Amino acid sequence: MERKKDDVLALGNEIVSEGLSRGIDDIEVYYQDVDSQEVVIEKNDLQLPKADKYKGIGVRVCKDMRIGFAATNDMETNSSKNLLDEALILAQNSPPDRNNVFPAKANLSEVKDIYDSEGAEIELNNLIEISKDFMTEIKKDDRVMVESASFSANIINNAIFTSKGISSQYQKTFFSAQALSFAREKELVSSFDIEYLASCFLQDLSIKKSAARLRDKVVASLGAEPVESFKGEILLTPFAAVSLIMRPIVFAINSENVQNGISPWKNKLTERVSSNKLTIHDDGTEAGGIGSKKFDREGVFPEKFTVIEKGILQELLYNSYTAHRAGRKSNGRAAGGAQSTPGISPGNLIVAPGKKSSKDLIKDIKKGLLVNRYSGSVDPVSGDFSGVVKGGELIVQGKRKQPVREVMISGNIYDILDQIIGISQNREDIMNYKLPYMLFSDISITGKDSLN
Amino acid sequence: MELKEILKKVVANRDEWLELRYHKRTSLDIEVKNGRLREATRNILSGVAIRALVDGCWGFVSTSETSYAGLSKAVSQACKSAKEAAPLKKEKVKGLASLPAKKEKVDFARSNNQQKETSLEEKIREIRQADNLLQKAGEDIIASQVSYSEYQDEKIIVTSDGIEVEITDPKCDVGVVAYGVKDSQQERAHVSKSITGNWTELFSEKSLADLVDEAVSLLRQRLTAEHVSGGEYQVILDPALVGVLAHEAIGHTVEADFVEAGSVVQGKIGEQVASELVTLVDDGNAAGAGRTLVDDEGCQADKTIIIDKGILQNYLHNRESAFKYDTEPGGNARAFTYRDEPIIRMTNTYIMPGKSELAEMIEGVSEGFLLKGMAQGGQADSTAEFMFDVLEAYKIEEGQISHPVKGITLTGQAFEVLKSVDAVSKDFALDLGRGYCGKGQPAKVDAGGPYIRCKLMIGGQQ
Repeated sequence: MERKKDDVLALGNEIVSEGLSRGIDDIEVYYQDVDSQEVVIEKNDLQLPKADKYKGIGVRVCKDMRIGFAATNDMETNSSKNLLDEALILAQNSPPDRNNVFPAKANLSEVKDIYDSEGAEIELNNLIEISKDFMTEIKKDDRVMVESASFSANIINNAIFTSKGISSQYQKTFFSAQALSFAREKELVSSFDIEYLASCFLQDLSIKKSAARLRDKVVASLGAEPVESFKGEILLTPFAAVSLIMRPIVFAINSENVQNGISPWKNKLTERVSSNKLTIHDDGTEAGGIGSKKFDREGVFPEKFTVIEKGILQELLYNSYTAHRAGRKSNGRAAGGAQSTPGISPGNLIVAPGKKSSKDLIKDIKKGLLVNRYSGSVDPVSGDFSGVVKGGELIVQGKRKQPVREVMISGNIYDILDQIIGISQNREDIMNYKLPYMLFSDISITGKDSLN
Repeated sequence: MELKEILKKVVANRDEWLELRYHKRTSLDIEVKNGRLREATRNILSGVAIRALVDGCWGFVSTSETSYAGLSKAVSQACKSAKEAAPLKKEKVKGLASLPAKKEKVDFARSNNQQKETSLEEKIREIRQADNLLQKAGEDIIASQVSYSEYQDEKIIVTSDGIEVEITDPKCDVGVVAYGVKDSQQERAHVSKSITGNWTELFSEKSLADLVDEAVSLLRQRLTAEHVSGGEYQVILDPALVGVLAHEAIGHTVEADFVEAGSVVQGKIGEQVASELVTLVDDGNAAGAGRTLVDDEGCQADKTIIIDKGILQNYLHNRESAFKYDTEPGGNARAFTYRDEPIIRMTNTYIMPGKSELAEMIEGVSEGFLLKGMAQGGQADSTAEFMFDVLEAYKIEEGQISHPVKGITLTGQAFEVLKSVDAVSKDFALDLGRGYCGKGQPAKVDAGGPYIRCKLMIGGQQ
């Protein structure tokens, strides 16, 4: 879908010029438009076809080191003058802060494979067909129930214009499929399980494979039994690792949390934070990456760097504010859109693969659990976690014994990172993460016996 | 032409059943972290949501275009998508519960807002002062965060069956987070509050300084508290946790769309699902953050009795499910912004107070816990199985509160828990913190009740 690039350029430049003429020190205009289509399935039936067109603009101003931000999607009645007025009022009521700086212009280069020109032509009836394919595949076993599923296509245009001379645009496509399902056989009900697919290219969504995998997972968890408490190994699937492992790590490597003193890794740069089996890179420009972009929320190129190298913390995520406060340059991790001020988030977090397959890692387990999904709390500040294993399987002497239910795991995330004893060679893409299976030793597993 | 007239004209020109909802949200967010004004933003999000019902299938389009031509085009798209999707839909929408045709203007604010509006300058100043107070509360405080959000919704709903409603809905909330350290162990504690109303009403009972004191006191308890062993215990839940249980673990299972999907209460109307001490309601008229006097289908809010003295009485409905179940909708069809379609949501969900005194309830516990508030979050399935982590907890030994404990996670099946209730206190509070519920889209809700005594599984970390 072709955008009117010149119109956006004219609008951005007009606001920047208007702001400068009013004596504002720095102005940043962030523009975003999104065309979305979605088909929603509920209770095994098509529920709703949806479409949304959004176009919005956010203006951030800095005057005398004071920042103000205003945003609108009402482009007709809210003129650029109104937005500048609103942002200025907020700036006038804000305290000065010497770290309120906007980044200088730097070279930006196009990122490969984040726009699918063919996929961008998708129409709603194509999504309806995709949802039909998914349902046909998953319902090949009539014990499987689809609680909810959605299939969406998004065409996104981002643009930024600043008084420092940054003026750039890029387009991106984003296709996703997600489903929540369970199996029922007479009185037996499995736990819920989830499949999530996302790609910048429509043809890369392997819908039928995903439906088959979800079907097999929920059917396999039928007849789950409680187990006794024990201390043993857990093998986290990539999906379970997102909530249990990666989110606390993202909190810990956020430079704002480090500077505010609430990250457990606040003084840990160049120090050991995990087992030497763990290496993580953050690549904001990976070809085809869900988290890839030409520029971050402030117009900075999202460079690639190593976060953890064999257990040693190497780098944090910075935006311009935290970078200036640390006396360095931003590494392009400012996050957000036209309706928000820049936060901080990773590009594509990629965990380096190990040498064994996940199947071989299972063979290494003496007594432990395969954790398909984790439903519980993780406090990123203390690292304490405690929650229920969903779709879990008991593994004894390297063999998958039985699906389990009513099993809890608990401990401290930052402590157990040192207990990683295996990383799989095979990895999965889940949103902006590329993750292997991860094997941990000595985890407290609370079974039914301890709950009585 | 006025926008309302444009909406009416667009609806009048089509044969299909249509619902057009103009929804403008003007919001203000202020956040101070560690002395830094992290956020001071104003935002306008406005547009029109269009729902078309064609051949028994819905089509939904949202657009920021508000011209007659733009809306006519979007309506055509909604009708086309519904028509295209209809052949795949197995169970067609057979009808909608009828609502009386009406023209009205409704303001959800509790008072007539005669108080002087607090200025932006004053709000920023007070939030910075609160953050400063928190930072200086002691050497054990390592970080602080105070955040405030407000929004004012203006809506115009016009449908093919004669509904013309104009709504004004002001909501605001505040959160205070204290971070601390003791013996190299970091902890955080938060307190929050949300209401339907403005800044003055938000702080009418507790000032920002009071909330800071609460957060600091809570943090210090968590820093000194001990971990506990897991097991089944007799516990007393405070109004905040009762609210979490009522909303997350019970309330979602009685939303008619979840019932249709096979939730645990399907087919159980008239059955005993809880102790006879338990009466649970959803009430859009109550003065909580979930106040919804008229919902996004234009339906008047009702007080829906979900459980009456232990007996399951009603599910929560929108117009579609109410028609199917041959009942009246109670004002539970809600959409968060114009980009969201109305779905079945709770409003203010609570357990009615009982007759017991809290002190007597504590005296009746030989070994158990007094549990208050939710910490990081919770989850519940449509089976009513839930997991919540607890913010504040005290061991009860031989009828006496002994010492603070932490790291408690509650799990169980909510209806089994409600069946185990043997005492319900006279107290009552709506207290769901900042009051956001997620179900594909957010909604402002509230929940609460009295203190209840029941049996629960606790997962500890010892």
